[in-house]
Amino acid sequence: MTVNAEELELKDRLSLIETMIADGRRTTERWGWSFVFWGVAYYVAIAWTAYNQWPWAWLVTMMSAWLLCWAIIRGKQKNQPQRRPGTTIGRAISSIWIAMGVSMVLLFPALGLSGRFNWHIFVAIVAAMMGFANGASGMIIRWKAQIATAIVWWAATVAACFGSDGQCLVVLMTAIFLCQIVFGVYAMICETRMRKQEANHA
Amino acid sequence: MPELPELNPVIHGKLRLALLSLLVGVEEAEFTWLRAKTGSTDGNLGAQLAKLEEAGYVSVKKKFVQRKPQSLYRITDAGRQAFLEYVQALKQLLGGAIGD
Repeated sequence: MTVNAEELELKDRLSLIETMIADGRRTTERWGWSFVFWGVAYYVAIAWTAYNQWPWAWLVTMMSAWLLCWAIIRGKQKNQPQRRPGTTIGRAISSIWIAMGVSMVLLFPALGLSGRFNWHIFVAIVAAMMGFANGASGMIIRWKAQIATAIVWWAATVAACFGSDGQCLVVLMTAIFLCQIVFGVYAMICETRMRKQEANHA
Repeated sequence: MPELPELNPVIHGKLRLALLSLLVGVEEAEFTWLRAKTGSTDGNLGAQLAKLEEAGYVSVKKKFVQRKPQSLYRITDAGRQAFLEYVQALKQLLGGAIGD
């Protein structure tokens, strides 16, 4: 083999490494729908509570949403021809959201049972936790749009500590609309674009 | 003149190199996913993965999911180290040629 041919082969190997590493990590997950899904679930819980003032409306709605969300994820996994391999970043992000979900499921019923539940504190804690999870996820994947949602949630945390109960509800509903519905739809559009790019690449 | 490094022959094979490059970016991967990404045949892929396993560069975990066999491959610490050394050696060999 001549020196030039050898060099070309080595360059070919380097190019193969770069392509394969990028290809392996190109595992765009579809999570935009879950933001919209949970946004709708929060609105259902708010509407239910406002309709008949049942104290467990939030817990029942959230538990039902968890089960439905889990069933949808299972269904999506079954329909995939090959299971996408997990990445360390993917595990880090899902761990943040699971830990946040568990914290909420334990904290709010406990506050309700102990009689120490307060609407303003509830909204402030929900917004703080959502800000934390979105902020951490956005920083890990360096996605400015998600960091922006975290800023909205953090602003809602502060706002929830002031004003009347009605104003607090408006703060929560606005944050849900911007950070769950609008961001979720935007994420779905981005994911569709990325899938198309992946398909073209393949 | 500094001595040029030798390329690890176990890694240098095109398919084996592609497999390690894929595995280095993920936690673990199924046989079917590796097959789809490399476009290889079952037989060739199995043989190359066996060579990597023999060298201690990948580990395999076999299990049944809904009565279907599933093989999950993962790069080992030794595999990761060997892969990094291979890339370093490759860059050194290419020297200034990279980016041409």
